[in-house]
Amino acid sequence: MDLTARVKLEIFVEAHAVGEIERMLEDAGFKGLSVFASLEGAGSHGAWRQTGVDEAGMRLIIAIGSEVSAERALAWLSDYFQSYPGVAAASDVRVLRADRF
Amino acid sequence: MAGAGAANLLAPAVLFFALGALAGWLKSDLTIPDQVAKTLALYLMLCIGFKGGAEAAASGLSQDLIAAGGLGLGLSFATPFAAYIVLKAFGVLDRLTAAATAAHYGSVSVVTFAAGTEYLRAVEVEFGGYMAAVLALMETPAILAALIIAGARSQKAETRLRPTLWREVFLNGAAVVLIGSFVIGAITGERGMARLDVFVGPLFQGALCLFLLDMGLVASRRLAEAPRLDWRLIAFAIAWPLLSAAAALGASAALGLSLGDATLMAVLAASASYIAAPAAMRIALPKADAGIYLSLSLGVTFPFNLLIGIPLYHAAGRLVFGG
Repeated sequence: MDLTARVKLEIFVEAHAVGEIERMLEDAGFKGLSVFASLEGAGSHGAWRQTGVDEAGMRLIIAIGSEVSAERALAWLSDYFQSYPGVAAASDVRVLRADRF
Repeated sequence: MAGAGAANLLAPAVLFFALGALAGWLKSDLTIPDQVAKTLALYLMLCIGFKGGAEAAASGLSQDLIAAGGLGLGLSFATPFAAYIVLKAFGVLDRLTAAATAAHYGSVSVVTFAAGTEYLRAVEVEFGGYMAAVLALMETPAILAALIIAGARSQKAETRLRPTLWREVFLNGAAVVLIGSFVIGAITGERGMARLDVFVGPLFQGALCLFLLDMGLVASRRLAEAPRLDWRLIAFAIAWPLLSAAAALGASAALGLSLGDATLMAVLAASASYIAAPAAMRIALPKADAGIYLSLSLGVTFPFNLLIGIPLYHAAGRLVFGG
């Protein structure tokens, strides 16, 4: 099987930031991404829940790309997280159809 | 007054709110799906806006509309400055959380307004349809006031998200539906009202009950999961609406508004936002503690206004207006 090394980013942010982060990922060289809505969880500020009207909700953005693109994105995110809530994780993955990432 | 207050507590909408709060407190698995709650919120805003627009078209551009609109804008903009001073004096909130909280008490709650209009209809007190436009006008100035209080320099990173912020402030879904429905109601007038009569009329009460069931769940869960709130903040969340309502009633009387309009002005002034303001504050003041301002507006002030405040403001209005 022809597997190629790539970096997967999992970025967890408030809903309002999704558009800005999508643009940033494109500028950083990512060719695609997926956005997922979240239901509930807990973090450093305690438990939270997506409750219909009073919560903007959290979003999980997953993007897979080259190491260079991932480093650019993580540098941007580390600046963003100085002001806004959220977390990001990077992991090494191996992908099929590498030309798509 | 006691009779009207008791009748309010036994109104279906209020009892459904209590049911939701009880279910949330008992940790029932009752939930209103997220998309249903959002759809109900949009439906309620459509009804309020459309009916208000149609009624405003019927009565024409009156002096009362201009007076009520001006008063609403003034109250919404001025309230955060006064609320901020009081909140800072307690010494328990940082500057940004105090500013964000103050914004919530200057902005308004659509559902509290809806409950207020239903209460007035139940006690047969007339009010101007244009109050729906006043509701829309009062959403934004408080948010702008909070940004002034917080100071642009303290939020360097916000610059990057400024387009998102302004879009959220002026073009959030709630504002678009409310103002848009008002305009459509005003354009189509009686003809439009005849076509949508059932949709915006008899069905409204049922949708409000279902929405308040969800609000009861949300409010009780929000309060249970809230950080331990300082007693002074809880006292603020109850006393501030009373002061705001008193100021609104006094100003309404001075401007010559009717009892119904003055009562709704008091309801608006006393209400605290939990949709538009939190969304804007998350973008503009991300360091402010959302657990504080949402718990106060949704967990304390909203139930207080729904259960006690609305009939109280009406009773106070009757005293002021001698009704």
